This record gives sequence, structure tokens and C-alpha cells, in this order.
Amino acid sequence: MSAATEQPKQTLTVTTNDNVDIVVEREILERSVLIKNMIGDVGEEQIDTAIPLPNVNEPVMKKVIEWCEHHRKDPPAPEGDDSDSRKKSTDIDEWDQKFMQVDQEMLFEIILAANYLDIKGLLDVGCKTVANMIKGKSPDEIRKTFNIQNDFTPEEEDQIRRENEWAEDR
Amino acid sequence: MTTPMPPVPAKDDIRATWNYLQAGVDKIMMDLRNGVDMKTYMGLYTSIHNFCTAQKAVASSGEPFSSSTHSSRGGAHLLGEDLYQNLIGYLKKHLEGVQAQSKTHVDEALLTFYIKEWNRYTTAAQYNNHLFRYLNRHWVKREMDEGKKNIYDIYTLHLVMWKEHMFIGTQESVMHSVLKLVEKQRNGETIEQSQIKSVVDSFVSLGLDEQDITKSTLDVYKEYFEKPFLKATSEYYNNESKQFLAENSVVEYMKKAEARLEEEKERVPLYLLSEIMSPLMRTCEEALITNHSSTLREEFQILLDHDRIEDLGRMYKLLARIPEGLDPLRNRFETHVRKAGLTAVDKVAQEGENLEPKVYVEALLEVHTQYQDLVNRAFNGESEFVRSLDNACREFVNRNKICKSGSNKSPELLAKYTDQLLKKSSAKMTEEDDMEKSLTQIMTVFKYIEDKDVFQKFYSRMLAKRLVQSTSASDDAETSMISKLKEACGFEYTNKLQRMFQDMQTSKDMNVGYKEWLADNLDKTELKDSIDATYNILGTGFWPLQPPTTPFLPPQVIVKTYERFAMFYNNKHQGRKLTWLWQLCKGEMKANFSKVNGKMSPTVQVSTYQMAVLLLFNDSDVVSYDEMVEGTKLAKETLDPSIGVFIKSKILIAEPENGKPESGTTYKLNLNWKPKRPKVNLNIGIKAEQKQEVEDTHKTIEEDRKLLVQSAIVRIMKSRKKMKHQQLVSETIQQIKNRFMPRIPDIKKCIDILLEKEYLERLEGDELGYLA
Repeated sequence: MSAATEQPKQTLTVTTNDNVDIVVEREILERSVLIKNMIGDVGEEQIDTAIPLPNVNEPVMKKVIEWCEHHRKDPPAPEGDDSDSRKKSTDIDEWDQKFMQVDQEMLFEIILAANYLDIKGLLDVGCKTVANMIKGKSPDEIRKTFNIQNDFTPEEEDQIRRENEWAEDR
Repeated sequence: MTTPMPPVPAKDDIRATWNYLQAGVDKIMMDLRNGVDMKTYMGLYTSIHNFCTAQKAVASSGEPFSSSTHSSRGGAHLLGEDLYQNLIGYLKKHLEGVQAQSKTHVDEALLTFYIKEWNRYTTAAQYNNHLFRYLNRHWVKREMDEGKKNIYDIYTLHLVMWKEHMFIGTQESVMHSVLKLVEKQRNGETIEQSQIKSVVDSFVSLGLDEQDITKSTLDVYKEYFEKPFLKATSEYYNNESKQFLAENSVVEYMKKAEARLEEEKERVPLYLLSEIMSPLMRTCEEALITNHSSTLREEFQILLDHDRIEDLGRMYKLLARIPEGLDPLRNRFETHVRKAGLTAVDKVAQEGENLEPKVYVEALLEVHTQYQDLVNRAFNGESEFVRSLDNACREFVNRNKICKSGSNKSPELLAKYTDQLLKKSSAKMTEEDDMEKSLTQIMTVFKYIEDKDVFQKFYSRMLAKRLVQSTSASDDAETSMISKLKEACGFEYTNKLQRMFQDMQTSKDMNVGYKEWLADNLDKTELKDSIDATYNILGTGFWPLQPPTTPFLPPQVIVKTYERFAMFYNNKHQGRKLTWLWQLCKGEMKANFSKVNGKMSPTVQVSTYQMAVLLLFNDSDVVSYDEMVEGTKLAKETLDPSIGVFIKSKILIAEPENGKPESGTTYKLNLNWKPKRPKVNLNIGIKAEQKQEVEDTHKTIEEDRKLLVQSAIVRIMKSRKKMKHQQLVSETIQQIKNRFMPRIPDIKKCIDILLEKEYLERLEGDELGYLA
């Protein structure tokens, strides 16, 4: 065991919008680029102040922290990584798949929080999960899955179908 | 202390959102020193996030930057342009204020102001870049992905705005202040260098590549900093150098220029970009050297005349920096060295005929040594200057006053000097190092000699003499010299010299064998009566020796001795012809009639010819001239000087006194002869003989040259079969120029001879053919 790991871990406190304080290890929380930049900008001296998170509630935050903890050692996503492999692949590793087995509302809350907190990895996993839910489904099935009302008029629907005819699987 | 923040706005209200944001941005821009509290930070970030994620932004009327491109299809359109435009408006206003303020400052105060504002602004830009990160990640990214021009991430936007609304309006005054500061420093004042460094950094940061904003370029820096900086530098040094030269000597100026160049070089790492090094140096060199190069070069001759090595070195270093700066110097240097060499030769030439080879060679060497030292010390041993030195040396070694009578004089004198060195006892050459050093010096001169064949001729004759007369100082020195020549001119050049050496070694062994043979084949009385003799067998083709020119009747005792040897030799090597070179033989005789200090009889060293003369006196104390001629059969030219030596040493007395060596004169053995030493050398070379030899040597050189040229021509033609006349001539020159420089008419003559001898034939159109 090296000396560094025996040192008490630095912690941060976040206050969720339902007014719950959560204490998190700094390293874990800094998976969020927002938090990381913010601490860098406002300075270490404010480190003991609770960080207000006006856009996230406690259950979602807990979920986010759980993911961050599991992925604490991931290499930081390189800036502007838009490589095709990342975009195209919908593969999700096993732990993340299990992690994403939540109800639909929670899933969307996680995605929103990841977007807000700027946690690229989590945002990707969330979006891929949704993409996998859409894959291979007809518009009606999709509507059913996500509980979407069809607000197209039949004429509009017809037009869209014609415009996208080329993309149909035949 | 902190200004109260407006309440967190509704997420779809652009006006409220911007009001809220502007308060925050302004605080960051103007009051960052007091810090931003976490709550405000998170509030600002969140309001941007919320605005951008709102389903619909309500464009409130009257808002100057509201966008009109909103679409009801939220998914295809990202929100954020309003914020971006509002931020642009804010930055523009802020920077206009800063620029207006900057007008109230000049010089160093302006720099202080500019740097302070720049630092404050760029720090704020970094904060804002983080706060607006959500905008960067979505709206900005989308716009850029779609290829929209003039959309930048928030940090870059700050730089673009600075460049447009601050930099363009102030750069001229800023640079003016910078250049004033640099001028102060060049004038010897101490300045705040870090200010200039900050300006440089700022200018560099503004170099944005319009094609790819993730990359930066040095365009802005080059245009607005480097260009005026170089211009000011050029002006400064143009003025300074002109003024300095008007008031000071060229040598002083060179010191100044050297110091200035060094100073500018050191300036770069202090506060400039390393990229400026080469243009800055070029600018300085132009102003300090190129513009004054003719003045500098005029001083060159003066420095040469006074041996100012250090200053010459300085001039070399300066002019070496500019293109083609040194070429004129090289020509002048060459001329100067040639003149120095010619002057040195003129000086020693005053001694006329009696010029000592040593004095001549040393005069040549002295000039060479002096200027070689100069080339090494002042001109860095640069190969081009070495070549100029070589050219000059070649000129004055081969074409000077001494050589006027014939270009063969230099190689002849050099060979003679070498002979003197290698000869026993001439000058006390105690240290082997000194010998080696002298030989190396000889090679230095040798390198410049054009007629290397002349040297070879003389050298081989003198070597032959040294070997035959065993007057060589040391075998090691001889070998060393030959290997030096071999290294310089190749195997062929020294082949015969080496063979001569071998002959001497073989002869030594053979003499040992002969002694043993004598002991085995002679009885005691025969051994006792025989003359103790050693023999050198010299291969005819290798030695530059001629058979005797005079008839000679060897005395009977000698005939007996050599016939015995001939028997031994023919036994060993059948079919070889032995020719006796009497002119090179010598011996010792004991003068039994005389006593030195009343004790021992003296020994006289004589040539074989002299021996024959003296032996006549064994039969009679008085011998007439005619009897001498009869008894020796020697030609008058050889006999007379031999007698002369005897008269001079008083071993013989002429009658009548002072009687010329001719019929009628008689010679009497001087029985009262009392030499001072027990050994007397009467075998003295005769002046006339030596002179004759030199002439002979020169004559054979001409003959040999013809043969050399002819054999070269035949060799070339044998391999080429056909060749144009002109081409053949130039190739011939090519082949033999390392021996001597053939004259073209001579080559043509040789071609004619070969045509006559039918080695060659004339073909059509100026072509020659080879006839097998």
C-alpha cells in the first residue's frame, strides 16, 4: 500500500435541489467537468462550501454518483472525440447495462443530469440505452414505448414517409 | 463587497437571462480579484444550461440581439445564439472602453496598461469559457460543424474580439513604446524586459488560424511585431555604424560590431521569440557588415601588412557571416602571400651562386609557416583559405627569382637540402625528432613543387652517393623520407629508391658470405697478403650511376683482389656482368715512410684513382707526369685534379716548383711529410666534377621527360585505340602533371615522334589511331 492511498480522501458536499446534502469523494465527483472546472475557477478555499445543484434531485444524483464511482479510474474522455466508433457503436458494457436497468423516467433524468453536469461517459451510455430501445421498432412501437402521442396529421405523416422512402429497408 | 446578483431568471426569458449573465460576466471581467462564490458560479452555469435547454425561447420585443430564426421544431435547432450575440455586444463595449482608456497612456505606462488589461481580459476569458461551456458544447459546436464562419468557442471569441476592438487600434502605439524601450536598452539603459515579453506573448496569442481555429499561427506576431522590430533594428544599426565608423578606426568598429551581434543574439532568449533569431541576425549583419563590407575589406591589406592576427580573425568572423563576404579577401590573401614569398626569395637570392640550399628552403618555409599559422588562427583553418595559401605557395615556390634560370632550381635546391640533412655529421642532428620535423618540412615544400621528377632525379643521385659512400646519417631517417615520398607520389615514384636500399642490404649479406668463402678457399699466406675489401653490387637499372668516363689501369694488387671476388660472384650468380665503377671506389693506404709524432704511420684515405697514382711511388720516390699517365691510363681530367690534391696536401712535391701537371713535370714523394693527424682524407670531391654532375642531371631530366610523355601517350592510346588530338593532349597532361607540368608543344612533338615511329597513325578528322 502506498502512502498516498492511505491519506484521508478529500470530500465535497453537494446540495441537490430537494435540499439533501450528499458527501462525495472529490475524485469521484470530478468526473463531472462542470464541477472540476468550477472548483478550479472559484479556488480551493471554497472547497468546504456545499455545491448547489439546482437541476438535480437526490435519487438521480445518487445514481450519477454510483456511476462515477464505478468509472472513477476511466481515462478522461478526450476533448472533441467524435470518432465514428464512438458514434456508431451502441455496445454497452455489462455493468453499465445493469446500471441502466431503471424505469424510463429515471433513465431520462440521468441523461439530463449527465448533460448538465458534463459527464460525457454517462451521457453516452444513457443515449445508447435509449437508442437501443428504439432500434428495430416501428414508429408505432416507438410511440408506445415512450408514450408519445402521434401529433402528425395523416397528410403530414404521408409526406414524411415519402421524403424518407429512400431510407426504408426493402 | 460583492454586487448583489439579480435573481435567477426564468429559463426561457432571454432578457432576464442575459441581464443575469451580464452581471456575472461583468463581475468576472472587472472584479475577479474578489473572487466568485460557488453559488454565483453555479447559478450562471445553470442559467446558461437552462436557457439552452428550454423548449422555446421567447424573443421579447425590443431586445437588440434576439434571434429571428427560431423554429417551432426544437429538435433541429439549438438555442444559444442570443447569448452568444449578447456576449459579443458586451465584449465590444468593454473593449471600446479599454481602448479609450489606453489613449491616455504613452510609453511604458501604455505597456503597463496594455499588459494589465490583457492579463485581466484573458483570465476572464478562461472563466467565461468554463461558464459558457454548455454553449460551447452544443450551440457553438453545432454551428462550427455546419461550417458557419466567424463562430468561435467562447475563449477564442474573446481573443477575436480583443484583436478587433483593442489590438488593431492600439498596436501601433504599443509597438512604438516597445521599440523605444528596446532602443533604450541598446543605448545601455536597464529596462523592464518582462513587459516586452508579455507583449510578444499577447501578439502571439492573437495569431488565429482562420482555416482551423484549433491551430495558431505567428501571422499577427510576424506582421505587427517582428516586422517593425526588424525595421527599427535596421535603422538603429545603420545610424550607429555610420556614426561609429566616422569617429573610430575600422578595428575599433569591428570590435563594436562583434559585440553588437553577440548582444542581439543574447537578446532573443531574454524576451523575444526564438523564431526571430535568424531574421534578426540577418538584419544586423546587413546593417553592421554588408553595408560596410568594402570599408572592412580595404582594411584587410593593412592588417595583413602588420600581422594583426587577432584583428584579421575578427574580420574573418564578421565577413564569414554574410554571403560571399570572404571571396575578395581570399584573392587578396593569395596575392599577399605570393608577394611575401617572392620578397623572401629575392632577399636570399642576393647571395647568388653561393646560395645555400638550407637558406633557400628555410626562406620558403618561413613564409609558409607564417601564413599557415595565420590561416589556422585567424581564418579558422578554413579550407578555402588553405587553398589560397596553397596557390600562393605553389606560385612562389615554382616561379621566383631563383627559378628564373630554370624552374628546376627549386626541386634541385630542395633535394640538396634534403641531402645535407640526411648526410652524416653535416649539421649535428642530435634529436631524432628534429630530423623528423625537418623531413616533414621538406615534404611541405615538396608538395608545392611542380617538377617533382626533377626532385626525384637529384634525390636518387644523392641517395646513391650517400649509400655508396656510406655517408647516410641514419637508415631510419632515410626510410622515413622514402615512405613520405611514397605517400605523396605513389609506389612508382620511390620504386628505384627502395631498390637501391635493398641492394645495399643484399651486398652487406654477400660480403659476409665472401669473407667466409675467402677463409675456406685461401691459405694463410694468401689471406695475409690479400687486401681487405668490401663490395656493393648495384642493379644497373635502379641506380642513377654511369660507368667511368675515363680509361683506367687498376694497380696489380687491386686487380688480384677484384678478380678473386669476381670468381666468387660468378660462381654464385652465373651470367651476370660486373662493371666496376672505379670513380666511386675508395680505399685506405698506410704511409709507411712517415710517422705521426714519431710513433704511428699515418693512414691516407684516397680514391682508387689516387691509389693507383700513389702506388707508383712504391717502385720509385720520383715519378714523372708521363709515367703517371702511362701507369694509370687515366684521362687528363681525372688525373690532374688527383695530383693537385697530393701537391696541396704536400705528400708529393712537384718539380719544377709550381710545375703544371703536364709532360716534363716530375713528382717526388715528400719523405718529410708529417701530417698532424694519424688519418688524412685526400678523397675530396672536385668542384668541377660536381658542377658537371648537376648539368648531366638536368640533361637526363629532359630526356626522361620526353620518354615519360611518350609512354603516357602510348598507354592512353593503347586503351582508347582512337582519339582526337586535342583530347589526347589534355589526357596526357592529366596523367603526368603530378610529376611535372608538360608544355603542350612538347606533347605535340612527342606525338609526332610516335607517328614517325609508327606507334600511331593519323585518321580522318583530327583523329589519331593506335597501331599495335
